[in-house]
Amino acid sequence: MTALRLPDDQPPSPARTVAPRIGARAVCEALVREGATTIFGYPGGTVLPIYDVLREFPLRHILVRHEQGGAHAADGFSRATGGVGVAIATSGPGAINLVTGLATAMMDSVPMVAITGNVPRALLGKDAFQETDIVGIALPVTKYATVVMDPDEVPLAMAEAFEIARSGRPGPVLLDFPKDVLQIETSAPHPEPHELRLPGLLRPVRGDVPEADELAELIARAERPLILAGHGVQIADATELLRQVAERSEVPVAHTLLGIGNMDETHRLSAGYAGMHGWMHVNKAIQQCDLLIGIGCRYDDRITGKTSTFAPRATIVHVDVDRSEIGKNVRTDLGIVADAGDLLAALLRRLPQSEPRTAWLEQIAEWRVVSEARSWHGSGAWREGRLSADYVVDRIGEATNHAATLVSDVGQNQMWAARYFGFRKPFHHLSSGGLGTMGYAVPAAMGAALGAPERETWAVVGDGGFQMTMQELATLVQDQIPVRIAVLNNHRLGMIRQWQEIIYDENYHSAELLGPDLVRLCEAYGIPAWRATKPDEVDGVIAEARKAPGPALIDFHLDEAQNVYPMMLPGKGLSDMVEGGAE
Amino acid sequence: MMATAPRRQTLPAGEPDAEHRRHVVSALVVDRPGTLNRVSGLLRARSFNIESLTVGTTHEPGKSRMTIAIRGDDGHLRQVLAQLERVIDVLEVHDLTTVPHVELELALVELEPPDGANGEARLRAALDAAGGQLITPADGSWRARLTATPTEIDRALEALRPLGLRRLVRAGAVAMTTTAQTTSTEIGDPRE
Repeated sequence: MTALRLPDDQPPSPARTVAPRIGARAVCEALVREGATTIFGYPGGTVLPIYDVLREFPLRHILVRHEQGGAHAADGFSRATGGVGVAIATSGPGAINLVTGLATAMMDSVPMVAITGNVPRALLGKDAFQETDIVGIALPVTKYATVVMDPDEVPLAMAEAFEIARSGRPGPVLLDFPKDVLQIETSAPHPEPHELRLPGLLRPVRGDVPEADELAELIARAERPLILAGHGVQIADATELLRQVAERSEVPVAHTLLGIGNMDETHRLSAGYAGMHGWMHVNKAIQQCDLLIGIGCRYDDRITGKTSTFAPRATIVHVDVDRSEIGKNVRTDLGIVADAGDLLAALLRRLPQSEPRTAWLEQIAEWRVVSEARSWHGSGAWREGRLSADYVVDRIGEATNHAATLVSDVGQNQMWAARYFGFRKPFHHLSSGGLGTMGYAVPAAMGAALGAPERETWAVVGDGGFQMTMQELATLVQDQIPVRIAVLNNHRLGMIRQWQEIIYDENYHSAELLGPDLVRLCEAYGIPAWRATKPDEVDGVIAEARKAPGPALIDFHLDEAQNVYPMMLPGKGLSDMVEGGAE
Repeated sequence: MMATAPRRQTLPAGEPDAEHRRHVVSALVVDRPGTLNRVSGLLRARSFNIESLTVGTTHEPGKSRMTIAIRGDDGHLRQVLAQLERVIDVLEVHDLTTVPHVELELALVELEPPDGANGEARLRAALDAAGGQLITPADGSWRARLTATPTEIDRALEALRPLGLRRLVRAGAVAMTTTAQTTSTEIGDPRE
C-alpha cells in the first residue's frame, strides 16, 4: 500500500557519497547472507528505506499486485526449491494482507520469512497512519513473530528468523521493523551460528533412532503393512530413503495430499493418494492393513475421516519431528519423535530384505483395478461429449512428461490434479493442503516458476480460485514469468456445488459463479490464451501454451455437474465412502 | 546458549483420555514482551479456560516462571502442553499434577467489622484455618491475607462469606516440585 503522507518521515537522503550502513542495509545484507535471491514484495511508506537501498544488493524483487500474492509466491518459491521464501509488505493493510499466506505456510510447515515495516517507534501504539499490531495478528499463524526495536538487533533478528523458519518442523516467521529502525545506522555485525539466542527452539536430535528397533520388529511380524508418507518426508529430503525402505521391506506406500511426490507413482510399491477424495484401493488398504506406519504426516481429518473407525485392524505407528502431532488425532501404538530421514535411515540399517508380500500386494492391485475403472474417464468425455476434468489433468501430465511443477488451487481442481497428473518426483506438487486457501495456485506458481526455472510450471485452478488472485496476471506479464495456467472452468464453485448436490439435497446456493471471458481478459493483459470445450481440442491447446515464452492460459470449459469421486462425507470414515461410478 | 544444542522433545506418546481434572502446569519461559500472549493465545485457541496464571522472575536472569492452573481432559491438555513446548519462547513445560509438588496461593480479603467478641472469634478462627493474618485492623478496616493452598483458601472464603466478605483479590497459584529438579519437559505419561 503506497502512502506518501507519513508522520515523522525522514527527509530524502542527499546525493549519496558515503552510504551509511542503516538498518535497511543490514536487512538486505542478511537476506543475501541467508541465500535469498528472489524476494516478493509491495512497497509502502514504512518499508521505503528498504526499497531505497534494494538496488545495491543481488536480490531480484518481484513487484506483486497484492501482498497475499507475495506471501503465496514466497511459499511457492520455498516449496519448489526447499529454500526459504521471502515476502515484504508495508505496515497496516500491507502487513495484514500477508496473513492468509502466513497461515497457509504455517499449516503446511513451509519455511518463509516475512518482513513488514511499521510506524516509527515513537508512534507505536498511537494509532498512527497505517499502524497495526501485525505481530499480535500474526502470532497464531506463524512459527514466530516479533518486532525488532533496536537497529543493533537487526542482524541477529534476521539470522534467528531464518534459523527458526527452517529448523525442525519449518514454518513462517514474521519480523516487524518500525521505520526508524530501518533508517538508523548500526554497526552490529552479522552473527555466527553459535551466537544465535534460541534456547527455546526445538531441534530434533539427529542421528540414529533407537526406536527403529521396535518398528523393524513390527514390520517383520506384519502381514499387511502399509506406510502412509506425508509432507515431512519431502521436508526431510528423504524420498530416496523412503523408496529404499519400501523395497527392502516390501511395504507399499500410500501418501497424503502433500506427500504426493514422495514416490514415483508408477513404482510397483506406490499405492497412491489416500483420504477424503483419495483412491478407494488406498483407503481400503488403510482399513485392512495390520500395521500402519505414518511418517511425516499429521493423520489429519482429510485422511482419517471418523477417527474411531480409522485403520481398525492396524497397529498404528506415528513418526514425526513434532512431538505435539503424536497422539493428537488418532490412537497411537508407537510414537517416535524423529526426523523422517533419520528414522528411514535407521530402519534401513535394521531391516533385512523381505520376501515379497505377494498376497497383500495382489489384493491392493485387485482393488486398484476396480477403483480406477470407477473413476477414470479415459475417453476424455465426461457426458454428452463434454470435457472431463480428469482427462485435462491427465493430458497436462502426459504432455509435460510428468516433470512439470504442478501447483493446484483448492477444491475439485485440487483433487483432480492430485489424482490424475501422475507425479514422479518430490517438490513438483504444490498445494494448500492444510489451510485450503483458494487463490493459492496462481501466485504460488509464480514463486515456484522463479525458484525452479529449469522445469515447466503449471497452475491448475478453478474459476473461483482464479478470480480470487487473478490480479497477479500483471506480475506474470511484467516479469515474464512462464506460468501456464489451466483454468478448470465449470462456471461454478465446484466443490460447493458438489456438497450442495450430495449433502444439502441439491439446494444450490451461491455455487453459480459469473466470471469474465478469460481469453479476452488475457488479451487485455497481453497473455496468450486459448479455450477448449471438447476432448479433441485438449492436446492442441496444451501444446500451444507450452510454446509461449512467458505466461499462458487455457480456459477449459467443463460440465458443471462433474463431481470428484470417491468422496468421504463429513462425519463418515474411510470404509464409508460415496463412489460415483463411471457415469 | 549454543544454537546447535539440541533440545529433545521428551513427552511420551499417549492416547487421549477422558479424565477431566484440575492441572497445575509450570512453564519456564524467556522473559520478553509477547511471551504471555503466546502462551495464553495457545490455550485460548484450544478453548481452555485458565483458572489462574502467575508470572514471575526466577533465579536465572532473563527467565520467567509461569504457573498455570487449568481444568481439562488429561489427553487434550497433554497435547496442548506439547504444543506449548514448541513455542519458541517457552523453555520447559511441566505438568505438576502427577508429580509431588507444593502449591500455594495468596489472597487478600476485606471483611465487615466483626459484631462483638463472638463474631471476632469466629472470624479469627476462619482466618487461622487458612493461614490467615489480619493486616490492618487498627485503622478500622478489617483486611487479612491468606496464604494457603487454593483449596484451603476456597474453604476459608466459604467460612468468611457469611461473616461479611466485602472484597477479595486472589493472586493465583504458584507451585514447585518437591522432587529433584528436572530439566526436561515432562507432561506425565497416562500409561503409568
